[in-house]
Amino acid sequence: MLTVSLPDAAEARCNKTFEALMWAMARPGQVRDMGEPGLAPVVEALIDRECVVHSDSATLAPFIANTGATPGTIEMADHLFHETLDIEALVSVRCGTALYPDDGATVVLQAAHGSGTRLRLSGPGVDGVCDITLAIPPAFWSLRAALCAYPEGFDLLLVDARAVIGIPRSTHVEVL
Amino acid sequence: MSLSSLTKPWAATSYGFLDASAKRELRRKMLKAIAVPGCQMPYASREVPMARGWGTGGLQVTLTLVNPASTVKVIDQGADDGVNAASIRRFISRVSGASETWDTLGASIIQSRHRVPEETLREDQILVLQVPNPEPLRGVEPNMSIARQMHADADYGRLWLTLYEQLVRKGRIMQGAAYPSLVNGRHVMTPSPIPRWDVPKLNMAKHLTFLSAGREKRLHAVPPYTKVEPLVFSDRPYRVEDHQQLVCRRSGIAGYFMNEIPQDDGSSSFEVSDSNLGIKAIRRAEGETVDIGQTWYRGGEFSA
Repeated sequence: MLTVSLPDAAEARCNKTFEALMWAMARPGQVRDMGEPGLAPVVEALIDRECVVHSDSATLAPFIANTGATPGTIEMADHLFHETLDIEALVSVRCGTALYPDDGATVVLQAAHGSGTRLRLSGPGVDGVCDITLAIPPAFWSLRAALCAYPEGFDLLLVDARAVIGIPRSTHVEVL
Repeated sequence: MSLSSLTKPWAATSYGFLDASAKRELRRKMLKAIAVPGCQMPYASREVPMARGWGTGGLQVTLTLVNPASTVKVIDQGADDGVNAASIRRFISRVSGASETWDTLGASIIQSRHRVPEETLREDQILVLQVPNPEPLRGVEPNMSIARQMHADADYGRLWLTLYEQLVRKGRIMQGAAYPSLVNGRHVMTPSPIPRWDVPKLNMAKHLTFLSAGREKRLHAVPPYTKVEPLVFSDRPYRVEDHQQLVCRRSGIAGYFMNEIPQDDGSSSFEVSDSNLGIKAIRRAEGETVDIGQTWYRGGEFSA
């Protein structure tokens, strides 16, 4: 008879984080609770040696190195973990191709929720429209609009402490 | 850095059967699948203790999502008590400690082969469909590299042609299951071999749907509130199966998708395909207090 092995702490953390990330992506604009603060839980849930990762965070670097992921430039990376937003650098983010949309990068950004620019989201996962406020300048959203020629594009996860908001490439973002 | 810091403590098995690296890969692909609704994302498809083609794709998605607080329902052609469904459900609960249920309303994850339950799914529920062939273009383009190019170009003319040929030859659409459907106005997907009856349930649904093909190593997703439009000609409206008037011989309920049971005299009788809905209807008729949810079809008509 098999006995059920209980999830260890890491497994339970990753499972909870991913559930938050998944629902954040599936319902753009809705805030989900990851259980742990910061970018580290996202790294733990998603990243391993199959990934090419770019990060601007000195504190996160040893943690990412420990996953075995290959460090890479922004052009090469399939996952980006940024604590500060450098809009000019993000011009070269990977957006995949119409042949392989999954080559588009996942960009995980630290950004305060509830202050800054007002946005109106619509598209898959949004029941009608959804208004949110994010501390990200309008220039970023025009860059995103220029880069994301659906199904090409990159997918955003915006982390504020334990809270996460997802904005996949399929979402139409209007700056109010 | 020492050897012990690179490994983790010994454990007899991985939680939820799949190892951590398999789960991370599936997580990455599931996020991409949600971000591009209806687009098939390749994944490695690990070995599970079940033959490919028996629901290994759905099983891997479920095992990635499951935790001890989950409640899992598994159906095979609408039935919870089929050998395949019962075995998968028992396996999931054994390796994860998740609760098992037959009740659509009580499930957090519903893994299904070939049916979407009749009771409307909620915003917190996840439907995992087992998909034998995720490629809608397979029948018109066997070369998968060319099919990928056709998806990239949104070149779906040949799918329209097959539907047109069915109309010309038979006077009606003959495609019974896996009806090609346009997701988010961009990618045509094959919504697993669910009957035409079930396709409208995916359109602007409240729940999240994953469609995973273990043998073909691809998964795609339909997020909530996403347009799923069956391919139809403007002068030939989409028609679901004519099951509106059929009555279940065991539970007496009508207006749902039915299984046809051939009789010795050549006639047919019918049983409701979503077996737990039938069970609940019988128990209610016998006087028990049973919670039957709002259904997608009411009086045989789709009304979401």
